[in-house]
Amino acid sequence: MILSKPIAHEATVHSDPDSITDGELVLRARSGDRHAQALLSQRHRKAMYFLALQLMGNPDDAMDVVQDALVRFLTNLHRFDPKRPVRPWLYRIVRNRVVDLMRRRKVRRHDSIDATNEDGQPFMELLDPDVDLERDAGRSQLKARLWQALNLLTETQREILVLRDYQDLSYSEIAKNLGIPMGTVMSRLHGARKRLRGILEEDLHALIH
Amino acid sequence: MTPTCKRAFDEALLTGYLDRALSQRQSQQVRLHLEECEACNQFYQELTALRETALNTRFVAPKDDGWPELPQTTVGRFSRPLGWLLIISWLTVVTGIALWRFLSQTGDPLEIFLVLGLPGGFMLLFFSVLFDRLKDLQTDRYRGIHR
Repeated sequence: MILSKPIAHEATVHSDPDSITDGELVLRARSGDRHAQALLSQRHRKAMYFLALQLMGNPDDAMDVVQDALVRFLTNLHRFDPKRPVRPWLYRIVRNRVVDLMRRRKVRRHDSIDATNEDGQPFMELLDPDVDLERDAGRSQLKARLWQALNLLTETQREILVLRDYQDLSYSEIAKNLGIPMGTVMSRLHGARKRLRGILEEDLHALIH
Repeated sequence: MTPTCKRAFDEALLTGYLDRALSQRQSQQVRLHLEECEACNQFYQELTALRETALNTRFVAPKDDGWPELPQTTVGRFSRPLGWLLIISWLTVVTGIALWRFLSQTGDPLEIFLVLGLPGGFMLLFFSVLFDRLKDLQTDRYRGIHR
């Protein structure tokens, strides 16, 4: 009876990892289960990477942030309530690490113009194969210009825009992530969009009219 | 209010409308305004295009072998250096004693070789690995991360 529980638990971890909730994995990872830690990491690292990439504009910086954020996540698991979702907590860590890193290095967001990393591998798909080419050419150009225009926003404008328009978080999720009132989300987001619209006015005009 | 919108209208509501974050009454107010105001309608379409463009941007994640290794646990961070410290201390003491006996000619050379050979070989291997690690550490981008 005493032995049956850990064996069943171990078997579940190895047989069907997808069926285990994040909460269960957090509990196991807390007690030093490296397999559970690896699963948690694999499950969320891609989303963490994309958020860091969108905020920092550079795949190598984004990877640094993911590594740093995972260390903080795994070493602070005892402070996390396993009943709550993991993703918002991870996003908050990523966002804080991005802010720290950019302030420490005293750099602004900088993107790779040709949307490739150091090895020449693309990190952004500009062409959508499902859309007609003529319209998609305009869209692709706008995607690239929008990506570069993010550099011209302030830090607060950029992060709220990334969280809403790239990550598609709800207003309440954004408010929690940034630690601001719900009422502020809409006005700040509008300020960011208005600024972007000013920067990309010609591209938008060409696309819509 | 957009530059050409002449009416008293809070333009931030356009963002709320686009995100479906308004109350029913506010949504109705925006809908009616958009039907009447061409400038705000155009502004709204541009905001929509911006959001759709961002939302439809697809990013490529690194390949499976492109991710950094899982960080060490707290236990690993402390127990590994301690283990290495014990091994190094043991090798140093044993080799030191054997060397001293060898140099002072108080022991049988074969016996000393048997004692000295194994730890001495390990020490050479250890120092070669240590040297490489130290060299790597100087150029390791992630060296500060485990602290």
